[in-house]
Formats: sequence, C-alpha cells, structure tokens
Amino acid sequence: MTATNTDIVYVAGQSAPAKPSFLARNRHYVLLLPGVLWMLVFLVMPLLMMLYVSFWTQTTFAIHSTLTLKSWVTFFSSDTYVEALMRTLRIWLIVLGLTFAIGYPTALFIGQFVRDKTVQTILLVACVIPFWTSFLIRVLAWRPMLGREGAINIVLMKFGVISHPISQLLFTELSVIIGMVQIYVVFMVGPIAFMLARIDDSLIEAARDLGASPMTIFRRIIFPLSLPGVTVGAIFVSVMVLGEFATSAALSGRKVNLLGNIIVTQVGSLKWAFAAVAGVVLTVVMAAVIAGLLRLVDLRREL
Amino acid sequence: MMEIDGLAKAFDGVPALVDVALSVRNDEYLTLLGPSGSGKSTLLRLIAGLEQADAGKIRLDGADLTHAPAHLRGLGFVQQKYALFPTMSVADNIAFGLRHRRLAPVSDAAEVARRVARMIDLVGLAGLEGRQIGQLSGGQKQRVSLARTLVTEPKICLLDEPLGALDANLRERMTVELRRIREALGVTFLHVTGNEAEALAMGDRMVVLDAGRVLQVDSPATVYSAPATVRVARFVNAYNLLSGKSSGGRFRRGAHDLPLPPGVGDAAHYALRYDAVAIDEPAAALDDDRASLPATFIASEFLGSRVVYLFRLPDGAVMEVERHLSRFDPIVLRPDEPRRLSWAICDVLAFDAAGTLISNDRLGRAA
Repeated sequence: MTATNTDIVYVAGQSAPAKPSFLARNRHYVLLLPGVLWMLVFLVMPLLMMLYVSFWTQTTFAIHSTLTLKSWVTFFSSDTYVEALMRTLRIWLIVLGLTFAIGYPTALFIGQFVRDKTVQTILLVACVIPFWTSFLIRVLAWRPMLGREGAINIVLMKFGVISHPISQLLFTELSVIIGMVQIYVVFMVGPIAFMLARIDDSLIEAARDLGASPMTIFRRIIFPLSLPGVTVGAIFVSVMVLGEFATSAALSGRKVNLLGNIIVTQVGSLKWAFAAVAGVVLTVVMAAVIAGLLRLVDLRREL
Repeated sequence: MMEIDGLAKAFDGVPALVDVALSVRNDEYLTLLGPSGSGKSTLLRLIAGLEQADAGKIRLDGADLTHAPAHLRGLGFVQQKYALFPTMSVADNIAFGLRHRRLAPVSDAAEVARRVARMIDLVGLAGLEGRQIGQLSGGQKQRVSLARTLVTEPKICLLDEPLGALDANLRERMTVELRRIREALGVTFLHVTGNEAEALAMGDRMVVLDAGRVLQVDSPATVYSAPATVRVARFVNAYNLLSGKSSGGRFRRGAHDLPLPPGVGDAAHYALRYDAVAIDEPAAALDDDRASLPATFIASEFLGSRVVYLFRLPDGAVMEVERHLSRFDPIVLRPDEPRRLSWAICDVLAFDAAGTLISNDRLGRAA
C-alpha cells in the first residue's frame, strides 16, 4: 500500500499518481455481497412474488397468471376473513398488554433489585428454560392443565370453589391467550431487564439525593430509560404473535382462526392466490405495527 | 453546622471508616484529602445517606441524620461521574430536584424557571438550557451536575472528586469557578479529592484521611508546613522522609549522623521539604547551622517554573530537591555525579516512633 503513504514527496513536474479507480475505492462494499444476495433471493423476491400471486386468477382446481382483484375482493367482503383479521389484532393487543404487565415487574426485579450479575444471568436463563422443550410440547402441555378434566378444574373442585368444571378454559380464545402469553413473555422480560440492568446506579443515587421518592425515581428516571427495552420486547412479541398459527390451532381446537391459520389452510388446499392475499395483509399489518412502535421511541437515540 | 462523631463503617468485615469525628462549619470550603481506599468516598456516601453507618452519629444543626433516608436529608451530592439524567435536557436536569423532591417541591412553573435560570447564569451555562446531555462536553456536564444540586439549596454540598474527570486546563478554571460559586451562595462545600495540590489550593480547611481514620484537620498552610504525622507529610507530597533512630540530639541513619533541631528528643523520622534542600559541591564548607549528606545525581525534571532534581543517598534512598527558577538558575549535572545535599537544621521536621510530629522551637513560634 505504498501508493497511499502520505510521506511520499511529489517532485515538481512529476504528476501525482492517478486517483484510485472507482472499483478500488468501493472495494469494501464486496463485504455486503453475500448478505444482500441472500436477502434478495430468499426475502425480497418471495415477497414480491407473493404480492404478484395475490393478483392471479384462482379457480377451484387451477391457478393462472391472469391479473385480477378477485381474491382481494373476496377476502375483504367475507366476514370470516375480516373477522380473522380483527381477531388477530385483538389477540395481539391482549397478549402484548399481558406480556408487558407480567414481564415488566419481572424484568424490574431482575434488572434493578438483583445486584449480583451472576444471579441476574441465572434468572434470565431460568426464563429461557421452557424453551428447552419443543414448541409443540409446551403448547400441548396446556391441554391437561386447562381441560374439563384438567388440573385446574380438579383442584378447584377439590377445594369446593366450583361445583361443575369450567369448560371455557380450553378450546377458547382464553386458552390461546394463556398459551401465547406463557410462551412469549420471556421475549418481553429479556430486553427490558437488559436495559434496566444498564442503568447506572449513580443516576438513581443522584435522584434520591435531589430529594425524589422511590416512586418518582421510577416514573421520571427508570421507566423512561427502560423504554427502548420495552419497544424491542414489544416488537419481538408482536412479530411472533401476529404470525402465530400453531398455538391457536392446538389450544382452540381450530375454533379460533388467526390470519396465520387461514394462510395454512389455504396453502393446504392449494388456494395460492388467496393465501397470498392473507400473506400480504399480514405483512402490511406487521410492518405498520413495527413502524408504529419505532415511532414511539427513537431507538437510535436511546441505545 | 454538621457534627460527625464516632462514625464507623465496614464492608464484608473490612473496615472502611474507623471512629471518624469531624465538624463541618457553616459557609466554609472544606477539602478532604485521602489516597484511594482511605474511606473518603465512603464518608461522603454515609453523610449523603447512600450507605448506612455501622456506628456513630451524624448531626446537622442538632438534628440526628444518621439513619434518615437520602431523599429527606436536604444535603446535595455532586457525583464524580456527573450522573446526569440522559432522557432530559439541561434545564430539566437542573429543575429535577425542585420539581420532584419529596420535601417542599416547587410546583409553580415560573418559580422553577426563575431559579433554574439564575443557577444557569451562576455556573456559566447560559444558552445551553435546551441541549441534550449527550451534546455536552465534560466541563459542561460538570457544571450541570453542580447546578442541579445547588439549585435545591442544600445545607451542605458534597462533591466527590469533582475535578477528577476534567483535563488539566479545565481543572484549573473549575478550581477558581468552584470557589466563586461557593462564595456567591454561601453554602458549605465538602470536597473530596485524592489530589494534594487541589486539597491545599481550594480548602479553607482541609481534612486528611487515611485507612479510615482522620489524621489531621487544619488550614492548608498548617497541614503543609506542619503535618501532624509522617503519613500526612507523605500525602502532602512535599517532604523527603528518612527513617532511623536518634540518641543525644542526633539522628542516626546507617553510617551517617544528622543533627536534630533544638528541643527535639527521640525522633524516628526526619522530614525535609523538597525546596529546603540545597545542592552543593562535594567538598563545600558547611555552616554550623546546617546539616548535609553526600549523594549522587540520578535525573532531573523540568516543570516550567521549577526544576526537580533526584539524588541517591549512599544507602540507596532517593532525595528530591526542588529549585524555583525565580531564585536559582538551573544547573546541569551528569548522572552519577557526586554532590553534597545540605539544609538548615531549623527546617527539619522530626516525628516520633508513632509517627507524630515533635514540636520544636520554630513550630512553636509559627503556632
């Protein structure tokens, strides 16, 4: 690399070496090539393909590439599908609210009240332990818990709290929500606990010293500083809940259909155009949710 | 006025403070000098209420504060790392204490704005009110941190190494600024530092702390010219300290025998200020009122207004000699060149075996 050394003295009359060529100057972009190619071929292209297929003409047994709005019109004029969209949004909001309500206090305990870094790590790992079993087992394990003859009903009957088993526990929206909250709450705890653990003790001491009560310190100092963690956790939970189909299938007995379930069913019956419409709608909803959450907190400034 | 009595604190059985007694007056600049690990930060945190004392009492204007929670003490604590709230602007940081304190919060927005503006003027932050904390330099953060504490009008403002994180230039300016701000408000500053020059320059009085004990509380001039113990003399960083035994009014160190100032009996330590030592030719004649030792030159360091010369005594100990260029011309010496170091006997400070200063005629006169 002697050509770029600054200590070379140019003699008058001798021309300075030519500026490095365009290729030489931009060589470092080659580093991006594998990643960009991968994303193009396996993410951008399929997304565009999905959008394209959603306008194809679907007949009972075949699909051909004549462009039409028919699948879109069917989707938005059918109660079943619009209801599924609304149900997806409703369950998403409830699960998001519950994971926050359960996850934040847990994270606050781990991040602020556990002083020992090792214990912090152990507690966070403990949150992840359920993930050592497969998704399906975690979901199906709720059946013997919530069923008519399940653990909860048996215990409640034994103690005489109820005389008849509660049948609304399983195969309802409630069981889907219970299952999802249990699975996804850890994605809320992690990022929040991380942000809370990063808060310098001296900030809290300074606030105490300035005369603020513990509640004021939480409201004015700790909570605002944990917001980036809340946003990241909310994005994790939202993306996963909005795309959910397995939990609702396993815990609702196929009674609660989310957008994800519709896509699975339509693909299963080879209704590609229709599945594509649902896929595009889901992608748009997710993009809007993420954009909205990022609006709420300026992650670039806070992290 | 704050009275501290018998204060003790240990961490995991290791004592950090042992039986500390101290009285802090109203309207004074008190500096607290101690090496790292001396317990100076612990003392400050105990006073602020950020740690709980194991024993002893802290009283402020007669009220017992020892176990009062930090947010109800009415003291100010300026953290070493500034501890500014990153989600708030400069003005909101400064207003935090006024708005959100438990005791007597100021709810009138105009009153908060008026007091914040006055404080911003006082610490020299005018024009930066709306800045975010990330957009400030170290010196500006320091001022915000100070203003945030002072605006709450604490009875005593505790400063934990406030100049530690600033560069040399800025430190000198803040030294003057801190004194000016303190005098303008008439609030007591308790300034903790590990830097002896800072402690000497800034304090009306200074406290020297070591291994959790108070060694001396005096004016900086007294601490400098008459350190109470050998350890204080070491922290002041202005004395050559020789240890040995004495008999018959002479101080014995190895093969050498040095005269002691009149009135000093048994000395175990012999201290000489760096600037009280003269560098003579090896065979120079010696006046009766002076003492001397042979030494060889090691190296010198030019410090602008003065030069520091390092010499090795025959027994291997190093002696430092400081010559102010306003009084002497610099001299050039070769390494290992022999010289004779001499000093007036009356400039010698002697300490007994326990390390306590033995008063002599000169000190008697000074006091």
